Amino acid sequence: MSVEVKNVTKKFGNFTALDNVNLKVESGELVALLGPSGSGKTTLLRVVAGLEFPDAGNAQVLFYGEDVTTIPASQRKAGFAFQHYALFRHLNVFENIAFGLRVRPKLKRPGEEKIRARVGELLKLIQLEPLAKRFPSQLSGGQRQRVALARALAVEPKVLLLDEPFGALDAKVRRELRRWLRKLHDEIHITTLFVTHDQEEALEVADRVAILRDGRIEQIGTPEEIYDNPATPFVYDFLGNVNLFSGRVREGTVIIGETEFAVEETAGETDTDAVAFVRPHDIRITREANGQKTFPARILRCNAAGPLANLELERLDGGGNFAAQLSKEEFQQLQPKAGEQVFVELKNVKIFSDDFSI
Amino acid sequence: MLRSQQRGVLPGFRLTLGYTLLYLSLIVIIPLAATFVKSSELSWAQFSQTVFSPPALAAYRLSFGASFLAAAVNAIFGFIVAWVLVRYDFFGKQFVDALVDLPFALPTAVAGITLATLYAPNGWLGGWLAPFGIKVSYTQLGIFIALTFIGLPFIVRTVQPVLADLDSELEEAAASLGANRWQAFWRVIFPMLSPALLTGFSLAFARALGEYGSVVFISSNIPMKTQIVPLLIMGELDGFHLARATALAVVMLVISFLLLLAINLLQWWSNRYNATNPA
Repeated sequence: MSVEVKNVTKKFGNFTALDNVNLKVESGELVALLGPSGSGKTTLLRVVAGLEFPDAGNAQVLFYGEDVTTIPASQRKAGFAFQHYALFRHLNVFENIAFGLRVRPKLKRPGEEKIRARVGELLKLIQLEPLAKRFPSQLSGGQRQRVALARALAVEPKVLLLDEPFGALDAKVRRELRRWLRKLHDEIHITTLFVTHDQEEALEVADRVAILRDGRIEQIGTPEEIYDNPATPFVYDFLGNVNLFSGRVREGTVIIGETEFAVEETAGETDTDAVAFVRPHDIRITREANGQKTFPARILRCNAAGPLANLELERLDGGGNFAAQLSKEEFQQLQPKAGEQVFVELKNVKIFSDDFSI
Repeated sequence: MLRSQQRGVLPGFRLTLGYTLLYLSLIVIIPLAATFVKSSELSWAQFSQTVFSPPALAAYRLSFGASFLAAAVNAIFGFIVAWVLVRYDFFGKQFVDALVDLPFALPTAVAGITLATLYAPNGWLGGWLAPFGIKVSYTQLGIFIALTFIGLPFIVRTVQPVLADLDSELEEAAASLGANRWQAFWRVIFPMLSPALLTGFSLAFARALGEYGSVVFISSNIPMKTQIVPLLIMGELDGFHLARATALAVVMLVISFLLLLAINLLQWWSNRYNATNPA
């Protein structure tokens, strides 16, 4: 039982928005579509909603086994929440939520009593009961998005589609709503697909994350899977800050400058040029050299505001700059100063053999 | 102590308000007040005899009736024209768009003569209608057509920009909630456009009430039948009955003002959702 997209290609003129995409969202799952702008994530969402149709070919969109590829949005029963909410300005909160019930064909339309009850339930769910009579223009951004969600849920959709639902909100409200969405999903278990360009949001909220690039799904997996085992340099880079060290790979190690570091999964390459990827928090800084395990560098800048201290360093062998992150304790123990020379150790070095470009 | 005068960010409030009042006084209020003053030269008996005479009553009915009908018809067809111009791309769209403004630019007398000739029983269009017993020129129907002609641009030009700004996401939202196209139109698009449509309607209506040039040519101007109020006023002026002419004008003014005020209230009500204060 799932919502499934098969072999979907969509072109706008010369631009390929989706390039033979396949995706399966299990029933009750919350999947994030993560990617930079122009990667096709919103187009994919709109294809699932029926607001966009895939190019001719063997493309298929399946809702729980039922082929809905050619069925228009109005008959697909897919709830859609827009980035800018698209609330009906001329209707109050109550009527916005009731809209989907009121436009049902006469035979399936619930009575006024039932509509009242259903909308009341949803208002309770989004915690906006006292604001039922307000117009959208009298609500805050976060409240508007919650109304948009309730409106989409009112029609009991088979799948809930959220297009950058928190994109237009400020950081604090965004974090609150993100947690609220996760909690809501744990309560009502509706199959949900949501688009975002914010990796933090995707990793925090989703059961699985699909990373898109140039109209293709680059990798899909649980947040841990994709964070710990990124399949491509693109995914690695997209999920967080990264330092690049060019060096040579030899038998399970990578040689950067004069120093050798162990790497996982080198796939047996021997003596080839390679780029090593290291996250800033996987860089250890010491005052003493530790034999073959460290290389020297100079600190350019220190910024200790926030829970982590950010350092910018320069390799002494002319290999360029890189960034490091220290915990507050490490920072206070070491007390690094700008201009000082230190030694650097790399952990969790990652090598991608096929394609080094990001 | 609180300062009674609030300082706004935008400068020039006094200057602009002062200018507005001066301008309105010189152009609108003083001339209109003068008509009231002039008409007060008449005694109440003379006044009521003038403004409640059977030809005058018939003329009010015709003027307001034909203007209202013309504005209503324009509201429907002008809406469709605006819709087509905004929603679809077709060959010659710019040309059609420019055509809409012609009734603004054309001297109304030219329009009146052209319409009268075309719709005369031996005219190009009137010739087709005559066999069915439909007479247009020199009848009330002719007046209605002339008023429709001059009112069209008001509806198109007020609805067009609002329709163009309408977010397509609203229709998509309606569709994803299960609304068919008809429901999306009546429940979402139309309510969003109705304030603009009402504005266009009141402009077209007001314009038609004051129209003189085209009607004088297409109408036979027979009292009680095809005489509109502006013609009646001109008739009084031709007879040098200046006070009686202004008395008719005063009645016109008062009724027009009340009708336009009512439309404005309706418009304000239809736009109430844009209020930002919590109710």
